Amino acid sequence: MNDFFAMGGYAQYVWPSYAIVLASIVLNIYWARRSLARARIDARKRLAMNPPAPSAKGEPA
Amino acid sequence: MAWTWFHRLGSPPYVYGLAARLTPWFAWPAAALIAYALYAGLVVAPADYQQGEGYRIIFLHAPSAWMSVMVYTTMAVAAAVGLIWRIKVAHAAAASCAAIGATFTFATLFTGSMWGKPMWGTYWAWDPRVTSELLLLFLYLGYMALRSAFDDVQRADRASAVLAVVGVVNVPIIHYSVIWWNSLHQAPSVMKLGKPTMPPEMYIPMLAMFLGFTLLFGALLLTRLRAEVLNRERTATWIRDVVGT
Repeated sequence: MNDFFAMGGYAQYVWPSYAIVLASIVLNIYWARRSLARARIDARKRLAMNPPAPSAKGEPA
Repeated sequence: MAWTWFHRLGSPPYVYGLAARLTPWFAWPAAALIAYALYAGLVVAPADYQQGEGYRIIFLHAPSAWMSVMVYTTMAVAAAVGLIWRIKVAHAAAASCAAIGATFTFATLFTGSMWGKPMWGTYWAWDPRVTSELLLLFLYLGYMALRSAFDDVQRADRASAVLAVVGVVNVPIIHYSVIWWNSLHQAPSVMKLGKPTMPPEMYIPMLAMFLGFTLLFGALLLTRLRAEVLNRERTATWIRDVVGT
């Protein structure tokens, strides 16, 4: 196991590389999901401020 | 008519629904492929006869580099479609690419630097490949800065699309830099025609990571695209159905 983490003496180069790329993946997933969640919240707020126009029959759409 | 699919892809409600349905089909295979490739690349693949265990950076460096140029190309094509046919959804797709591409371009430069220190003897060299990849990072950052300089989304779309399309000349420069100029960087070992220059125990995890990253980009793009479409459609009536009120 220690051999694995030592990476044949290259540990100081290999592990930061893996850490940065995995962090890039995790951050991108988080950012994408957050942007969609925010867009949905913003859309709900906009719609609440702009209720649908009543239809010709006088009923709410 | 054969072109109806193209017209439907210009329709925001259709694209929003399609993106929502497609996302899991990209996300789960991406997760499986990346998990497999991490294990196969770190544990199963043998050490390199010259670089020992240090070469294992390649399993992330090369796929990240592929992402950086593939995402840019997607962004430039989407921007061009948006400019030529004035399709809002295409501009929304282009805008969705930039942050993803910038992250993986940074990851490419970082992993390259980590690999360069033991193998080239330096973290950084003004080498043609490294310099053109750095230019790619500046193109992404410039694109995002340009977009944020406009309050009006349509003007931001048009201006940033021109930058994206012009900047695409850098993509072949990155790819051929190692062939055109004397470079410290090795020549392509995956993105080339003919037989791979690696044994299958290295090549297969590499291909899995390439495919996994590409599918991951698909899932990220589809999710961000939905956000962009919602933001652009303001108070269109179909939005009420998809966000729930």
